[in-house]
Amino acid sequence: MTHDYRARRFEVEALTRVEGEGGLIVEIRDGELADVRLRIFEPPRFFEAFLRGRAYTEPPDITARICGICPVAYQMSACQAVEVACGVEVDDEIRTLRHLLYCGEWIESHVLHIHLLHAPDFLGYPSGLAMAADHRFEVERGLSLKKVGNQIVEVVGGRAVHPVNVKVGGFYSTPTVAAMRELAGDLRQALGDAIDVARWVSTFPVPDHELPDGTALVALRHPTEYPMLGERLVSTGGLDIGVDEYPDHFAEVQVEHSTALHGQMLAGGDYLVGPLARFALNADHLAPSAAALATELGLTPAERNPFRSIVVRAIETVHACEVALAIAEAYAAPTRPAVPVEARAGVGCGWSEAPRGLLWHRYEIDAEGLVAAARIVPPTSQNQPVIEHDLAHLIGHSLDLDDAALEALCEQAVRNYDPCISCATHFLDLRVDRS
Amino acid sequence: MSVSVEPAPPVTVIAVGNPYRRDDGAGAAVLSLVRESLGCDASVRLLELDGEPVRMMLAWEGSPTVWIVDATSSDRPPGSIHEVDAARLREADSAWSGVGGGHALGLSEAVDLAAVLGMLPAELRVLGIEGASFDHGEGLSPAVLAAVPEAAALLVDAIRCYIRGQTPDVTVSP
Repeated sequence: MTHDYRARRFEVEALTRVEGEGGLIVEIRDGELADVRLRIFEPPRFFEAFLRGRAYTEPPDITARICGICPVAYQMSACQAVEVACGVEVDDEIRTLRHLLYCGEWIESHVLHIHLLHAPDFLGYPSGLAMAADHRFEVERGLSLKKVGNQIVEVVGGRAVHPVNVKVGGFYSTPTVAAMRELAGDLRQALGDAIDVARWVSTFPVPDHELPDGTALVALRHPTEYPMLGERLVSTGGLDIGVDEYPDHFAEVQVEHSTALHGQMLAGGDYLVGPLARFALNADHLAPSAAALATELGLTPAERNPFRSIVVRAIETVHACEVALAIAEAYAAPTRPAVPVEARAGVGCGWSEAPRGLLWHRYEIDAEGLVAAARIVPPTSQNQPVIEHDLAHLIGHSLDLDDAALEALCEQAVRNYDPCISCATHFLDLRVDRS
Repeated sequence: MSVSVEPAPPVTVIAVGNPYRRDDGAGAAVLSLVRESLGCDASVRLLELDGEPVRMMLAWEGSPTVWIVDATSSDRPPGSIHEVDAARLREADSAWSGVGGGHALGLSEAVDLAAVLGMLPAELRVLGIEGASFDHGEGLSPAVLAAVPEAAALLVDAIRCYIRGQTPDVTVSP
């Protein structure tokens, strides 16, 4: 059935099932899409200002509080940046434990998003709660998987939320071999569950859609690993830069309708960070089971349908379980839990792949070891422009839908990006806010 | 659930909130005093969480008695102490709706989902302290700070009753 809705406007006052609070405004005039705005109204975050004057050891703990969903990402990027500023490189054993901790966060975040936030869209339920009544087995399997993610963060990070065992230079203490052996046992089960979840989500009906032409995909790259802790930033457009070069190629700008900054490539054009970009640029470094599963499910690096991001998240969950299992099985107590880090005046940048995409930090440390300036670029602010443009692209092809169907499609499309609006809402500089 | 875990204690107390959002740190402040009073007691598990519903469900799994301590935002004066059975959270929605935390899913959703999955504890109660400010920054506002010892004492008394096998008579300020 074809509808003729020449002029309409709808507003999703409060987007549900996204991390944080946001709204969406779509305006259609004379049968054509006039405007799409992702509106954010959560109070701006002041963490960058809040960090000034704090000790060089504090950014990992303070920034972990920006978001309860991805505290490890904040800790890892912050640790790396401060260590660079102080001229310290951590031991390989410490880096491996950080990698394991990050696996725990990816599992937790991806499994929560797949099961309670995004799957209901594909299966026609208004909420995860409604879906759970009919799909109890799948939801319980998801909770069991998430529990293993929690367990990793607890064993390595000291507790399941806002880990307290992380410090600049490494950890306050390292896990026992017995705890890691127990973890390995649970991860074997989790790996099988994660594979089943990926097969399950691969059966979901997916709209025929692709990212707008010209969207660059941007992700970290590591010589041998699928990147959680990467070394270079690469793109489908040929970008290949080091961590200090990020400001030479990317900026954040303010827009009227949102208190979240919007990411921009200085060379122009939209860019995307997150699972779809990571997979496109790093599929060759997936762990063996995850790589085989991606092939089985028909997922290739050429995938550009954002609705298939749920399958990529599931593949990444398999990868995280597989990597975590290998680390837990091979674990021997590190020679030391941390390397000493003495404060010195300097500037350091750090980055890592949060579940939602690239998270970049920069700190200036003064001679007293205090933070003189901080800058944090979270993934969701980088993705906001492409979310809006992707919505415009999608709506342009879906104008025959009635309002309810179009609204539901838009909400589902926003959730393709798993936006963490809590992270995205901050100001670069307090002076900008006052003016 | 197949994951190996330590046996759950009879009582779990979960403080929810963010100490970098002013009065949203009320739960953590109460928990700190409760920890000082009770010391190390194998009958009680004290946890600090951010309010993400699945984490809460997994945290209380196995404990028959669970208390959530959180800051609230309603029309009551700052520092007011609320206590409610979690089953009645929806009725008290204005007082319990996602304060402080920025996430779209909250305690009510955790309770509803746990009910669907058969993961509700036998007793789930919520102790709330009415906040005045949820801005970014550290430190509780004076009224909330003043209410923390009373809330902690109330909770410690209740926990001791549970440990003795008694049902506590919880009385809170109006």
